[in-house]
Amino acid sequence: MGGFGHYLASHFDTLRLEFWSLFVGGVANGFLYGMVAVGYTLVYGVLRLINFAHSEIFMSGGFAGYFVMKALIGTSVPSGFATVYLIVIGIVVGGLVGAIVATILERVAYRPLRRRNAPKLAYLISAIGASYFLFNMAGKEFGRYSISMPQPYINHPVFKIFGAPVQLYYIVILIAGVIMFLGLDRIVAKTKLGRSIRAVAQDAETASLMGVNIDRTIAMTFIVGGALGGAAGFLFGLGTGVVYTMGFTPALKAFTAAVLGGIGNLRGAMIGGLLLGVVESLSVVFVQAAYIDVVAFGILVAVLLFRPTGILGERLGRAA
Amino acid sequence: MSDDKIFDVDSVTLRFGGVISLNDVSLHQNRGEILAVIGPNGAGKTSLFNSLTGVYQPQEGNITFLGRDAKPISIIGKKAHRVSAAGVARTFQASRMFSALTAFENVKIGAESHKGIGVVGAMLKGPATRRGEKASDAKTIELLDFVGLSHRANVVSASLSYGDRRRLEIARGLATDPQVLLLDEPAAGTNPSEKVQLTDLIRKVRDVMGVSILLIEHDMKLVMSLAERLYVLNFGSVIAEGTPQEIRANDAVIEAYLGSAVDETKGA
Amino acid sequence: MKQVLNNVLLRRFLISVAILAVLAVMTGPSGSTLTPTAGFTGSFAEHSSFFGFFETIRWVSFLFLAVVFFVVWTVWLSWGDRIKSGVNRAVSAPRAATQKRPIRWGIAAVLIFVALILPRVVTDPFWQAAMVEQIAVYVLLAIGLNVVVGFAGLLDLGFVAFYAIGAYTTAWVTGALPTPALFGIHMDPFFAIPIAILIAMLAGIILGAPTLRLRGDYLAIVTLGFGEIITIFANNLYGITGGSQGTALIPHFSLHIGPIKYLWGLKPVPYYYLTLIFVVLFLAAFSLLEHSRVGRSWTAIREDEVAAESVGINPLKYKVMAFAIGASTAGFAGVVTASQSNNIFPSSFTLSFSINILVLVIFGGMGSIFGVVLGAMIIQTASMYLLHSPPSGYQSSDLYIYLGALLVVMMIFRPAGLVPSRRRRREIVLSEAGEGHMDEVLTGDQP
Repeated sequence: MGGFGHYLASHFDTLRLEFWSLFVGGVANGFLYGMVAVGYTLVYGVLRLINFAHSEIFMSGGFAGYFVMKALIGTSVPSGFATVYLIVIGIVVGGLVGAIVATILERVAYRPLRRRNAPKLAYLISAIGASYFLFNMAGKEFGRYSISMPQPYINHPVFKIFGAPVQLYYIVILIAGVIMFLGLDRIVAKTKLGRSIRAVAQDAETASLMGVNIDRTIAMTFIVGGALGGAAGFLFGLGTGVVYTMGFTPALKAFTAAVLGGIGNLRGAMIGGLLLGVVESLSVVFVQAAYIDVVAFGILVAVLLFRPTGILGERLGRAA
Repeated sequence: MSDDKIFDVDSVTLRFGGVISLNDVSLHQNRGEILAVIGPNGAGKTSLFNSLTGVYQPQEGNITFLGRDAKPISIIGKKAHRVSAAGVARTFQASRMFSALTAFENVKIGAESHKGIGVVGAMLKGPATRRGEKASDAKTIELLDFVGLSHRANVVSASLSYGDRRRLEIARGLATDPQVLLLDEPAAGTNPSEKVQLTDLIRKVRDVMGVSILLIEHDMKLVMSLAERLYVLNFGSVIAEGTPQEIRANDAVIEAYLGSAVDETKGA
Repeated sequence: MKQVLNNVLLRRFLISVAILAVLAVMTGPSGSTLTPTAGFTGSFAEHSSFFGFFETIRWVSFLFLAVVFFVVWTVWLSWGDRIKSGVNRAVSAPRAATQKRPIRWGIAAVLIFVALILPRVVTDPFWQAAMVEQIAVYVLLAIGLNVVVGFAGLLDLGFVAFYAIGAYTTAWVTGALPTPALFGIHMDPFFAIPIAILIAMLAGIILGAPTLRLRGDYLAIVTLGFGEIITIFANNLYGITGGSQGTALIPHFSLHIGPIKYLWGLKPVPYYYLTLIFVVLFLAAFSLLEHSRVGRSWTAIREDEVAAESVGINPLKYKVMAFAIGASTAGFAGVVTASQSNNIFPSSFTLSFSINILVLVIFGGMGSIFGVVLGAMIIQTASMYLLHSPPSGYQSSDLYIYLGALLVVMMIFRPAGLVPSRRRRREIVLSEAGEGHMDEVLTGDQP
């Protein structure tokens, strides 16, 4: 027992010292998780199904961003206005490709099942199949190795919070994340599309009787979720590089975040993402690097077993 | 009819979030009785059923059931399959059958569910297993005959008419050797001749098999002709109790139904 | 009127072209990040032989195939029903015959005979090894997963974990792990069989008990997570599992009972026969199980869990049972693999492996033992064939492109599988018509 106490004490010391730098990294990761989690939660809200293939939407955004960065940056080292311009392009392209892949996915793998009123098991299996098809195709066409993305900036620490340096990369994610979340919140709460999404999420049959075009709403939901997922893929690739299997683990963690916040609950997805990112980051102190993923999976299992409705509860019908 | 209380519901309160579904409900059923619970929609009748069968767990109160061997058992806290094993069978408002299975298979599942699991026996198909299967088969045939579905034994249950589905559910429930059979709106969706057959069948279940009956119904004609005693629920509370005659004259009951489109002679 | 007609036909033609274009890229050359378009352009611009008849440019071949596809599709739309009923009428007599018990025994006897003489007929060493490692083992795994997915209706994406547990248990029991073996005795892998099966079943119970209360889609993810966790642990617990370097040498099977002495060596054929015996045993046991009250309880739970509970069936107990029983075949498969290949590495136990088995079950027909065995044999044989004589541009990991596409296609066109279990097909049809409460398990909706 003394040994365990010693273990805790030394680790808590490290935690205290590293807290802010870990926290900042965790928040950045959290934004990325949140962006992907939103995709899961939106689709779940309108279709009551987990889009297993969302991981590939993330991956395609990453690759799209990579190719664009490669084409525009090459070997140069941009700065200033060029940096901003490149980042925006990366996000836009990543989001666009994500939205396109999401749309194709919905049309090919899900819509035919909806037309036939297939049992829910069929959607899950179709999603798994689509996911495997997509990432293995990416591997075939683009190679099965990881490659780092040309950077649109020099990633130096921009300022310090409580002594912890905050990298430019994190700032980029933070700004992008805040804009996306605020924008999405606005869309869902105030626009006609948002109202349609909420209506379909609450009661699809009634919504269609009231004149909501279900097919279009679902398609738009996939587009919005796909755009965010794709953009997140680009941002993730910026820091970690891209590889054809890059979608799997981040998407699983994002799904954990979505469930943690309450599946179907938009704000829950964002909050869940941030929470998971920070907890995961801080647990680096206590757990060997190889087992970090186990922390996230552990949280997933725990949430599903003990509080499956999540922190904020499952309700997309309510204004998030 | 005896004085044994087969069900004793004591001050049961059931809440869902902020909604109170059952509010301090107390009632009892005597063994051998045909008891009915009526009330406007949303009064809490199905919630009561679900509480009696272990599907819902009320936050307050006690439910005591007189099981086999006349041993009192507390229902609250038990899972639905345990309640069924104790001797409580039920049907559902919208008949829930194993749709892809035949009528025979549906009832057979009910007949064999209370025995031990015997996986190894199942895989080895020993003599004991075979005897058990023969017994279940015989019981199933008997019950299908009892409810009048023998001619439909091999029909896929999804193809059965509403009336036949009700009867199938009753047969399946009876296959579990229950002490009491809870019927949730058995007459819903049936035509007049089916209603008459159903009434006769329900009475037959009590008279011939000795199974107590507790039913929820909206069809007043059916209830008044079948039930020996009634409880009336409204907004989760018991507002009246008595024989059909007493209930018919009860002011509170009339007021509860005022404005709703229930007509005593309606039922077609 | 003509406008509309053109539109529909045009759409159909464009879709045909799109499908064949995707097929072209799927079967075409690969690219890389440096040459991202190489795969795409090569798929259309390269020269390759048209089914071995003559050389032509790929886009020509595929355009031609697109036209053929379009024509077949159009014909099927008009005459498909007539063709189907004609075929049904033609096979109705033989199909009715196969329902009779003596005929079934006869068919089974023929199949067993074929299986017995197969190693004599197939002498190519690649294929002999493949028969055991890839086909027989996968058939075993498919039969096991069929119990979980097909009988009990539970989507388990972590099935590979039980396979890994079986393999690692064998390593442990024979003393090939850094952890000392049971009671310090290094046993022969033969005796590892019952132990591995038992431990795999226990793992099934331990995994199942807390998680099988979850609704279907969450269960799928949780099992996926568990599979990953097991892989991470296997990779990192050097002290227990030998880590990513794998285990030490695991001995081959050997049998010493009285006068009988037999040593399984490096040749795959003896493993084949051993596995075959167990396959037949499992098949018989599971077939009996399917038609027993356990099987009926599974069906009841699958169809309407609430109704099943109301007649006294404890869903959790039966689901855990399905998990454990399914795990048993995986455990045994693990023993065979471990003993035959002499050592095991965590890198072989991936999610993709679980998905591969899932494809076998879905393709064959979930719930149908015969379908699943047939599906496993077809897909694994095809997969092995692709490895053995790969068409140009094929890389071994391309297999998953095909498997993934197959899953989607199966779900859209034939969710009941190749040889569907009659009941399952009925359930799917009813579910599509809005009948029944099958989906409640998956979505957790309240009654």
